[in-house]
Amino acid sequence: MSDVDPITASVIQHRLVAVAEEMGEAMLRTSYSQIMNSSRDFSTAICGPEGRLVSQAEHIPVHVGALPWAVKAVVEFFGDDVHQGDVFLLNDPYHGGSHLPDLTAFVPVFAGDRLIFWTVNRAHHSDIGGATHGAYNATATEIWQEGLRVPPIRLYEKGEIRADLMQLLTINVRLAKDFQGDLAAQIGSVRLGERRLEALMEEFTPDVVVDAVEVILNSAEQQARGVISSWQDGVYHGVAVLDDDGRGNDDIAIRAKVTIEGSDLEIDLSESDYEVTSFVNSSHANMQSGVAMALAFLLDPETPKNDGSFRPVKVVAREGSIVWAKPGAPVTLSTSHCAQEIIEAIVRALAPACPDRAMAGWGRRFRIAIKGDDPRNGQPFIWHMFHARPGAGASSGGDGWHGSGEWHSTGGLKFGSIEIVETRFPLYFRRHEYRANSGGSGRYTGGAGVDLDLEVETATPCKVNAAGDGARHGAAGMLGGEDGAPHRYLLRAPGKRPRVLRTKEEGIEVPVGAVFEIHSAGGGGWGPPGEREQAAKDYDRRNGYTTKSGGKSSKAKA
Amino acid sequence: MYRIGIDVGGTFTDLVAIDDFGKVTLGKTPSTPVDQSIGVMNGLVQVAETLGLSLADLLATTDRIVHGTTVATNTLLERNGPKIALLTTEGHRDVLEMREGLKPERYNLRLARPEALIPRHLCLGVRERIKADGKIDIPLDQASLDKAIRVLKREKIVSVAVCYLHAYRDGRHEQATREALAKALPDLHVCISSEVLPQIKEYERVSTTVVNAYVAPILARYLSRLEDALKTAGYGGPVLIILSHGGIAPIAEAIRMAAATVLSGPAGGVSGARHAAGLIGMGDLIPFDMGGTSTDISLIVDGQATLANDRRIANERIALPSLDIVTLGAGGGSIARVRAGGLLEVGPQSAGAMPGPACYGNGGAEATVTDASMVLGYLDPDNFLGGRAKLDKAAADAALDRLGRELGIDGVRAAEGVHRVVNTQMAEGVRLATVRRGVDPRRFALLAFGGAAGLHGTELARQLNLGRVVVPRIASVLSAWGMLATELRLEITRTHIGDTANLDIAAINKLYAEMEAEGESRLRGWFDGAIHSLRSADMRYGEQIFEIDVPLDQVDFAAPDLLAQIKGAFERRHEALYTYSLEDQDPVLVNARVATIGALPALPEEPLVEASAPIAPSGQRRIYLDGWLDAPIFDFDRLAAGQSVTGPALIVSETTNVLLRQGDVATTTPLGWLDIQVPI
Repeated sequence: MSDVDPITASVIQHRLVAVAEEMGEAMLRTSYSQIMNSSRDFSTAICGPEGRLVSQAEHIPVHVGALPWAVKAVVEFFGDDVHQGDVFLLNDPYHGGSHLPDLTAFVPVFAGDRLIFWTVNRAHHSDIGGATHGAYNATATEIWQEGLRVPPIRLYEKGEIRADLMQLLTINVRLAKDFQGDLAAQIGSVRLGERRLEALMEEFTPDVVVDAVEVILNSAEQQARGVISSWQDGVYHGVAVLDDDGRGNDDIAIRAKVTIEGSDLEIDLSESDYEVTSFVNSSHANMQSGVAMALAFLLDPETPKNDGSFRPVKVVAREGSIVWAKPGAPVTLSTSHCAQEIIEAIVRALAPACPDRAMAGWGRRFRIAIKGDDPRNGQPFIWHMFHARPGAGASSGGDGWHGSGEWHSTGGLKFGSIEIVETRFPLYFRRHEYRANSGGSGRYTGGAGVDLDLEVETATPCKVNAAGDGARHGAAGMLGGEDGAPHRYLLRAPGKRPRVLRTKEEGIEVPVGAVFEIHSAGGGGWGPPGEREQAAKDYDRRNGYTTKSGGKSSKAKA
Repeated sequence: MYRIGIDVGGTFTDLVAIDDFGKVTLGKTPSTPVDQSIGVMNGLVQVAETLGLSLADLLATTDRIVHGTTVATNTLLERNGPKIALLTTEGHRDVLEMREGLKPERYNLRLARPEALIPRHLCLGVRERIKADGKIDIPLDQASLDKAIRVLKREKIVSVAVCYLHAYRDGRHEQATREALAKALPDLHVCISSEVLPQIKEYERVSTTVVNAYVAPILARYLSRLEDALKTAGYGGPVLIILSHGGIAPIAEAIRMAAATVLSGPAGGVSGARHAAGLIGMGDLIPFDMGGTSTDISLIVDGQATLANDRRIANERIALPSLDIVTLGAGGGSIARVRAGGLLEVGPQSAGAMPGPACYGNGGAEATVTDASMVLGYLDPDNFLGGRAKLDKAAADAALDRLGRELGIDGVRAAEGVHRVVNTQMAEGVRLATVRRGVDPRRFALLAFGGAAGLHGTELARQLNLGRVVVPRIASVLSAWGMLATELRLEITRTHIGDTANLDIAAINKLYAEMEAEGESRLRGWFDGAIHSLRSADMRYGEQIFEIDVPLDQVDFAAPDLLAQIKGAFERRHEALYTYSLEDQDPVLVNARVATIGALPALPEEPLVEASAPIAPSGQRRIYLDGWLDAPIFDFDRLAAGQSVTGPALIVSETTNVLLRQGDVATTTPLGWLDIQVPI
């Protein structure tokens, strides 16, 4: 144990978190594309020289657990050849990345010639080259079809940009201007973090800061262990099942075997199914992130999320499985699926050991993007649907939040105003309301999904792409609670039979006058339905969250 | 004649009366939460007594009362408003509860779902639909309206919000609905979105209109009660209410726009800070109001307060322009605890008013920031609130000793630690609040006011690298004082979407002219002085979702290059906020805004503090500043103009304690304020 006093350690901890937050604010203010400054799909963090996560700002849960692996990949490739003023970059899932659209920028922070920290910024770019716009390519069978792969590279050498490398990147993406603007914002953000950390070390001396980091991580470890040791020892099993890979394989299983011994946790995913040929495979870093997310959700919100709090966990997995694909396999969907099923399998396994903490499943992601021409101005448009959010899982804290989204973002993704969408796109929202009977029954009911009737008002046919999961398997019910209703998306065209959209499809023809009838998934229920209070049932009925004809039969029909 | 400012806070009601010679008289009485008007009248009696007048004489010689009220805020926080309902477009009745899909706290998946202000069965769909281009797709359906009215009757609804999709561009369906409601239910309070907030984005419009419908009946009842009490007591002048945007308006307007009063309380503090900026000739200030449970931070840039449209109060979205105030969950009453991992944490739990800090002797046992101040000698146990209250030093010592034992250090070091941690938290809060607005805090001075700010101000300044802290002499009643220095203000908004390159110059001119005429005619109803207007616009680049507020005062609307000028104004603002602009892209204009302003006569100048010989310390106390030392104590109210005090020292008045650390130098200004230089 270091001799840094607990007060100084507390002060330095606040400063480290504030630096990560300020990096995030700078990113928000300077980023260029909508996905970053509006949807905020980026994360900032500070890591130690060997990659340990020291502090993070609360952004996108699925990024954070993956960042240490990204730092490790840079350290592994460059070793001691790291200098003040360097900026490193990567996205390759087989070199520490999660999926190709997530580009990660790093700056080493020195005290004299001693490497003390890395400042890290990961952001989801709107395009990264490859066969389809925006990287979600349901037909990809290998990673080269998904976009440009960037292994760890040095983009700035001792403060000087390597213009040839920058050109190599920008020439390979569709929206070079957006890409450069967002990348510049990322680099500004990590450099700001560097300046702030240098000032911190000047104020307290590097030795005190380094010692304080040990105290901070040990303290988080102690907190996490305190929680885990209150869980019942034993070996637990949990399974979560993906609908399919979109290429003929149904019911792909993620299996977690979790062993609790005192305050230690071993999470073994090696019995999960083999990897597949489509983008639902997970990279190694993304699998680690899924595990970290599951743990973060089960610990207290007050426990800092850093290397210390993840120390009690040992992860076991097998290369070549769905959670850890071999180099070359496509992985773009994995930050949604199968990251969410990794969480679900672990939480399912641990539910009997810590029932008060185990929340039921959150809805799965099912995205569609419509591409066509706007008859009002003749311009082409692409619209990505963030509306009709699925329901959140119920927990011992109460019913799930209605329409609040998926496990990977836990209510952090915002859908835009319908009035704005109707003004800017040839789309007409006839209905956008909670979907009755969609939340899984339980002592606490899962959050409702949403019904959306969306009319496409173009003069020419459109195309739609789909990427997601959960049209067959609903969000997991927990501890006796029932699963939520799965997604059901229909395409109704004049004079044609309604067509059910599959979750992994590319280039579906949308005739003029078509209406999408979307029913998004409900969240899972928690605890036996028989234990639900009558007053709560009456409230649901009175407010139309459930209907008389509701329950299982209509769910099956829906 | 007098003008009187009245600020009703959670604990105290503060009053400031200013006569024609600028002489300031203060009053302070306990607030009366059940009916705030009782505390107000008590305070007026106290001010009258101080001036040697009867209440009737004081009111007969008063020509303006400006009032900041927390009635609407408390109604929202305590959820004790009336039973209300929402009429909205059929198929879209969950806009309010959906909150655009957002849920707070990424890592708290067991967070309980909040209850919306209106349960779903009282969100009633009415068959009608106007499309984005203004075309009526479905005319207002009388049968479905009648059905909704039957529910309102059956459920005995008191107040209703009406908000239909795209009503910002055509309010006819909402108006027809209001007429039908007035006929069927004459006593029903009705708010329609095309009047409350006629601007695009349905969640913001629905939520703001619903909040308005929720707080209006309560606010109306309170204000009419107050108006009656004042009239009965002999007052014949106007009662003006300070609104969230920092301007003031008469009672009827405040009730009509009740949702615009939710920041009425802190708005006074910001107005006071703006007035202070003028008085001390320092345009860039960070008003820092540290109270018992929380700390309010805002920004004065070039003498102006900044406005924001993204407020949430008690989880409810209110999209009306309001002062940009950031609230941190740390104050004098914040509780210090040792986390399971062994590190010290201060707040967000607070001991509140009851039991309060341990040293209040009301049964609180946990160590608070105030207890730490007590242990370190910064507070005088025998002379709190001018001797009206005594503090229990032993209780504070015991609380900090307990905390120290958990940390393995003694109570004094624990107390010092509590100060270090809370100062770090607040400094980082200020830094984030300023960075978020695109400004560097170092060129600002900290304006410290509110009960606890004086003990923390200079240390905060040191951590933020800013060299100047200002403490007003009326620090504890800055809000009530600031209300008297504001102007009448009306905000008008219209959505008018279009790329700047394709806007019709004549249509833009007509739109702004109409808005100005509307504002002027409404303001004319209650004001006969000079009126002027400020034009601005909410704009963004095409792909962004958030608009920024672009002032258009410098734009010449008659010029042929009007559109280029508007684009230029946007680019300058975008650069200031986000460090870049994109000259090859045409920004989109979303909302046109006009602020109609009626300036009231300036406050008479306050008489200056007489220059006299510097006063000697009134005593000394043992305090802890990196070690125990004897610090002189100076009486704030008796300091001579121009007198300098060098730290370590304490400067105390009845309601304000200022701590000077080693190297801090406080100079008394001609107004009797402290202007502190902090070595950085």
